[in-house]
Amino acid sequence: MSEETPQLTGKEPGEVARLLSYIALLAASAGLFWEATRIPSSRFETLGAGAFPMIVHGCLILLLLVTIAQTLRRLPAGAYAAFGAAFGTWVRERRLVFVVFLCLGAYLAAMPVIGYPIATLVFLAVLQFALAPKTKSAMAVLIVLSLLFSFGLNWLFAEVFNVFLPRG
Amino acid sequence: MDAFLLGAGQILTAETLIFMLLGSIAGIIAAAIPGFTVTMAIVLTLPLTFAMEPLQGIAVMLSVYVGGYTGGLISAALLGIPGTPSAVATTFDAFPMSRNGEPGRALSIGVWASFFGTVISTAVLIVAAPPLAIFAVKLGPWEYFSLIVFALTIVASLVGHSLQRGLIAALIGLAISTVGTDPILGRPRFDFDVTMLAAGLPFLVVLIGIFAISQLASEVEDAGKIRSGQKLVTGEIDFKTLSVMKEVLMRPVNLIRSSIVGVLIGALPGAGGSIANLVAYDQAKRASKTPEKFGTGTTDGVVASEAGNSATAGGGLIPLIALGIPGSAVDAILMASLMVHGISVGPRLIMDNADLVYGMFIAMVVASFMMLVVCVLSMRAFLRVAEVPKWVVVPVVLVCCVVGSFALNNRVTDLYLLGFIGLFGYALRALDYPLAPLVLGVILGPIAETNLRRALMTNDDWTLFLTRPVSLIFLIAAVASVAWAVRAHLKSAKAKKTAERTAP
Repeated sequence: MSEETPQLTGKEPGEVARLLSYIALLAASAGLFWEATRIPSSRFETLGAGAFPMIVHGCLILLLLVTIAQTLRRLPAGAYAAFGAAFGTWVRERRLVFVVFLCLGAYLAAMPVIGYPIATLVFLAVLQFALAPKTKSAMAVLIVLSLLFSFGLNWLFAEVFNVFLPRG
Repeated sequence: MDAFLLGAGQILTAETLIFMLLGSIAGIIAAAIPGFTVTMAIVLTLPLTFAMEPLQGIAVMLSVYVGGYTGGLISAALLGIPGTPSAVATTFDAFPMSRNGEPGRALSIGVWASFFGTVISTAVLIVAAPPLAIFAVKLGPWEYFSLIVFALTIVASLVGHSLQRGLIAALIGLAISTVGTDPILGRPRFDFDVTMLAAGLPFLVVLIGIFAISQLASEVEDAGKIRSGQKLVTGEIDFKTLSVMKEVLMRPVNLIRSSIVGVLIGALPGAGGSIANLVAYDQAKRASKTPEKFGTGTTDGVVASEAGNSATAGGGLIPLIALGIPGSAVDAILMASLMVHGISVGPRLIMDNADLVYGMFIAMVVASFMMLVVCVLSMRAFLRVAEVPKWVVVPVVLVCCVVGSFALNNRVTDLYLLGFIGLFGYALRALDYPLAPLVLGVILGPIAETNLRRALMTNDDWTLFLTRPVSLIFLIAAVASVAWAVRAHLKSAKAKKTAERTAP
């Protein structure tokens, strides 16, 4: 640990976020390690189905514990407050990323229900509209592409490749 | 000689050449679309070849195969998304090169490296098929496990900014590969009674989610730029065919080493282009005098990856032709195609159907020339992709990823997995975890587990890993590889500290 008064360099919010990810991964890995110990062994082999996952999660747990300890030692006291302040800005700056994931989630959930062509048409139209500059030419391209990659692609796969995308 | 001429006579007809040209174009286009693999393209081609003569059908499929290995580089270079699993390492340098304003050069280097990789692998195939095939099948599970341990040490070259996060990512990849039924006894693992997890996490869905979805999401991080119609890549749309050919040929050691790596890995049943490109990249980085330039858009990185993955095409044919053992899924489909035509594939293939085998060798060379011609003539059109604004590319490529993931197994649950893995991949990317070690873990995990358990089922003596000569060689190579990587990391950390101290 540094003996001098620690000064914030601007990288601390990222370090705190990574620390949280290490802790989340540690919890998940510990849970899966415990789950692996419950997989019954076999009389036909030395190792059994749970052995390899236990080796992997064992290594992961050890590595995460070391990494967490090192990160905790490195982080100055003001880092956690800096993380709280920076998180809101980070989310605001990446609002379009969240729009993309929301649209994708809704698209994937709706596809088995309403079918590939309609789900894709709506997905492409909505997402392109959200991302595109609001000009007439952009809107025209948006409509053409939405039709092409929804009904057009569905036709291509069904008629040429005999692969049937979800029909709903 | 008669058999050679007979084979050449069948390949060099106008009809076969036209079909091969179409196959080459189809392979390039299919592999350029993220989510569509060479295997998928070959599967879709197979029924179309039933009506053809055996050699003609095989030649068409080989041209799809060779074209496909090159096509993966297009989206890797222009979008930063590997078009196929065998183009993962291509993204490391070809994409930064495109972002640095040289998309044409990035593609051109990849195409030439692929061409030379295929030609070198075909030469090796002709000369060394029988001895290499006999060596490859003599490897037992001990040797395979030790080989995978060696391959895992590649992680050290792919860790990016932090060795620890690289290792964590590799272990996450290995952990992902353990979900679903276990590979030896079929016992369910970690499915928590969720149907979606029962079949495991398909490698391709993980690859698309981790690389493609997260990359596409990161493209829209800057709301202002995307709404102003920002293009994906800006820079010189110039293919510079001849000058780049000279540039690639000026790296003979890298080219030949990467091709040999590709041939050797391709010859091993179960391994393939998805591993070869990473191993070749790793070897090129270790041998380089300027390893710090790897990952920033260096020519050597693109050459190594593309020569390595393309050379597996020839390597994969070695056990197929010499012993009738397919080295990969694509080789299995080629084998099925021969069997459909009533040709039995096995050690007697070269004796009973020498014209066919020589025809396949000639078809490989012709296919690589066709790939080159198609790429040189059409690359300008492909480069137009770089001029398309991000607001068009991101949604459209997302749809391609979704279609590719579904078409793999026709399973709706794969789509849900894709969404979750994409979100997870974006979180990892945002937290500065390197993604390549994770993918490497997913590829190598099942092979490592299967061979470790198989070895101990055969004989529970652990010392066999050390007493069998080939296994021991791989393990010594793994230890040397780790020692080399640790030394390089310590050296670069020391240099960084010295630079920080001396900085004004």
